[in-house]
Amino acid sequence: MSEHIVTSFDDDLREVGKLIREMGGLAGSMVNGATMALLSADIALAHRVVSDDAVMDASQRELDERAISLIARRQPMADDLRAVVGAIRMAGDLERIGDLAKNIAKRVEAIGHDAVPRDLSHSIEAMAGLVLGQVHGVVDVYGERDAEGVALLRDEDERIDVKYTSVFRELLTYMMEDPRNITACTHLLFCAKNLERIGDHVTNIAENAYYVLTGQQLPATRPKSDETAQPAA
Amino acid sequence: MTQMVSLDKIMPQTTAGKTKIEVKGLNFYYGESKALKNISLALPERSVTAFIGPSGCGKSTLLRVFNRIYELYPKQRADGEVLLDGENILGRGQDLNLLRTRIGMVFQKPTPFPMSIHENIAFGVRLYEKLSKSEMDGRVEQALRRAALWEEVKDKLDASGLSLSGGQQQRLCIARTVAVKPEVILLDEPASALDPLSTAKIEELIDELKSDYTIVIVTHNMQQAARVSSNTAFMYLGELIEFDRTEKIFTAPAEKRTQDYITGRFG
Amino acid sequence: MSIAPSLHRSRKFRNALMMGLSMGAAGIGLAWLALILGALVWKGGTGLALSVFTEMTPPPGDSGGLLNAIAGSVVMTAIAVVVGTPVGILAGTYMAEYGRFSKLTVLVRFINDILLSAPSIVVGLFIYEIMVRTMGHFSALAGAFALAILVVPVVVRTTEDMLNLVPNALREAGTAIGAPRWIVIRSVAYRAARSGIVTGILLAIARISGETAPLLFTALNNQFWSSDLNAPMASLPVTIYQFALSPYEEWQQLAWTGALLITLAVLALSIFARSLTGRREDK
Repeated sequence: MSEHIVTSFDDDLREVGKLIREMGGLAGSMVNGATMALLSADIALAHRVVSDDAVMDASQRELDERAISLIARRQPMADDLRAVVGAIRMAGDLERIGDLAKNIAKRVEAIGHDAVPRDLSHSIEAMAGLVLGQVHGVVDVYGERDAEGVALLRDEDERIDVKYTSVFRELLTYMMEDPRNITACTHLLFCAKNLERIGDHVTNIAENAYYVLTGQQLPATRPKSDETAQPAA
Repeated sequence: MTQMVSLDKIMPQTTAGKTKIEVKGLNFYYGESKALKNISLALPERSVTAFIGPSGCGKSTLLRVFNRIYELYPKQRADGEVLLDGENILGRGQDLNLLRTRIGMVFQKPTPFPMSIHENIAFGVRLYEKLSKSEMDGRVEQALRRAALWEEVKDKLDASGLSLSGGQQQRLCIARTVAVKPEVILLDEPASALDPLSTAKIEELIDELKSDYTIVIVTHNMQQAARVSSNTAFMYLGELIEFDRTEKIFTAPAEKRTQDYITGRFG
Repeated sequence: MSIAPSLHRSRKFRNALMMGLSMGAAGIGLAWLALILGALVWKGGTGLALSVFTEMTPPPGDSGGLLNAIAGSVVMTAIAVVVGTPVGILAGTYMAEYGRFSKLTVLVRFINDILLSAPSIVVGLFIYEIMVRTMGHFSALAGAFALAILVVPVVVRTTEDMLNLVPNALREAGTAIGAPRWIVIRSVAYRAARSGIVTGILLAIARISGETAPLLFTALNNQFWSSDLNAPMASLPVTIYQFALSPYEEWQQLAWTGALLITLAVLALSIFARSLTGRREDK
C-alpha cells in the first residue's frame, strides 16, 4: 500500500494497527494462560490472566480514542475508513475475548485440584488448542492482509462448535456418573462455553477483517457442520 | 483502459429511475490538447451526481459541455454525444439559449449581476416569459424561498445583489437559476469560496432541490461529494476512472486510482 | 535567528535613500504643477469678472469677455462627443466582446494606439484636407469633427479596457441563464463597466477641451458670436493662442483668464471622473 501524501496520517494509522496487533497478542496469551491454569490448576497463573484483563481494557479504550480522533481529524475514506472502523470493532471483540479468558481464569480456584478427570481435561485441552489456534491465526492472517486466509479461518470455527458439542456431552456423562462432580463440571461447562464464545468472537474479527481488506461482506451464513469440507466462499 | 468502458461504469447498477443525461464517447479539445477522452456515463434523473478528481482532470470541462458554455470561447470543441432526454445536445441544430434555459449553471465564484436582487432573478425569467408585475414578484419570491434566501432579503429586494455576503450571493445565483425553471442544474464548485456555514446551507439546498431537479456538482471537496451526492464519478487526466454509487466509491472503490485519490495517496 | 547588524544597517540605509529619491521626484513633479496653477490663478484670477461670461471678445484695446469662445468650445466639444462616443463605444465593444479572439481586434487596437498618440495637429490637417478644402471654407462642423477624431481612440481604449475588466464569470453566468450575447453585453457587461466607460468619456472631453491645434485649420476663430455650424467659430484654446501672442494687454489678460477657465474645467472633469472610478473600487 502506497503512502499517504500527509505522512502523519500514515503514522496515525500505523499506531492503530499496532494497538490491534498488541491486543491480539495479549488475547492469545490470556486464552493460553487461562487454559493452562485451568488444566494444571495453576492459581498464580490464573491471577496473572485476571490482571492482564485490566491491560486489555485499557488498550481498548486507547484504541477507541485514537480511532475516533483519527476519524475526526483525518476523515479517512475507503480502505482507510474501513481499517479504522474495523479496528474499533475488532478491539471490541478482542476485549470480549479477554473478558472470557478472565472468566475461565476466575473459575480455576473454584474447580480445585483433582476435580478435572484426565480424559475430560484432554478434550478441553484439545478444544482450547483449536481456539488458541484461531485467535493467533486471525491476528497473523490479518497482519498479512490475506483476505482468503481470513475467509478460511472463519470457516474453521465450525470445528470448535463440533468440539464444544462433544465436550458438553462428555461433561453430562461425568455428572451423571458421579453427582459430586457436578460443581466442578458445571464450572468446566462454563469454561467450555467461554472457549466456544471466544471462537465466535474470532469469527466476528475474521468477518470484520475480510470487510476491511476487500470492502465486501462475507456471506452471512457459514457452511453447516456437515459441510465443513466446502471451500470458503 | 480508456477504450474499454464496461457497462457498470456507464450506469451505477443499483440506481433506479430514468436517465436524464447520457454521455456517449465524448471527447473534448482545447485547441490541440485533448481534455476529455472517450467519456461515457449516464446521469439518473432527479438525483445528485458528483464529479471528483484532481485539478485538470476534466471534471469542470465535462460539466461545461452539458450547457455548451464552452462555445463562448474559440478553439474549444466537443465530439461524441450528450443526450438530454435522448436528444443529442451537441447537434448542429441545437438552440444554445434554449438549451441553457433547460440546463442551468451556478459557478464557483458567486456571480450576481450588477443590478438589484429582484432584477437579478427577474432578468432570466423575463428573457423567455411575459409576466405581469405581480406574477413576476411571485416568481421572484418563490425562487428566493426555494434558495432559502427570502427571509434574509425580503425587505431589501431593491438593494444591489453585490451588497449581499458571499454565501447569500451564491444562494441568489441558485435562486436565479431555479427561477427560469430548468430541468438540470450544474454546480461548478458552488461552495469552494464559502465559509463552512454557508457551505452547509448550500448543501442543504442541494438536498432539497434534488427531488425536483437533476443536479450535477463538481467539487474538490470529497467529503462534500460524499455528503450530497447519490452517485459519484471519479475522473483523472481526462478519463472517467470509476462511476458508481457514492457509498461504494467512498467505502470500497473498485479502482486503485480512485482509492488512492480519495484516501489522499496520490503522488 | 541571528541577524548580521551590518547587513541590516546597509539595508536600512538603502531603503531610506530610495525613499528619499522617490519623494524628491514626486515633490518636483508636484512643484511644477503647483507653480503652473499658482501662475494661472495669479495672472488669470485678476481678470476674472462677470463680463468674461457675458461679453464677446473685444477688438484690440477694448475691454470685453470670452462668451463667444466659451460657447464655441462647448458647442464643438458637445458635437465631438455626440459623434465620437458611439463610434468609440461600439468599436470598444467589438474588441472586448465579439472580436475578443480575432486578428482584426489586434489590428484595430494597434491602429487605435497610434491614433491615441498621434499629434493632434495632424488630425487638424487631415480634416482641413477632407472638409475645409472640399467645402471651401472653415467651419465649426469641421472643428467638431476634428475633435471627434480625438475622442474616438480614448473612448475605444477605455471601453475595451473596462469591458475586459468585467470578469468572464459574469458573462458566463449571463449566458448560462439563457441570455443571448447582445443581452449579456447590454444588461450585464455594460452595467458592470458603466462607471469606467463614463470615466473614459469624461477623460476624452477633458482632453479635447484644451486642444488648439486641430481647431486652428478647421474652425479657425471668430471675433463675434456665431451659431452657424457652417461658419468659423470661436473657441477658448484658439482664442487664448491668438490673444496671448498679441501685443495688447487686454487680450493678454483675457488669455490668462481663459487658460484658468479651461484648467479649472479640466480639473473638475478629472476629479469627477476620479470619483466615479473611486466609487467603483469601493464595492
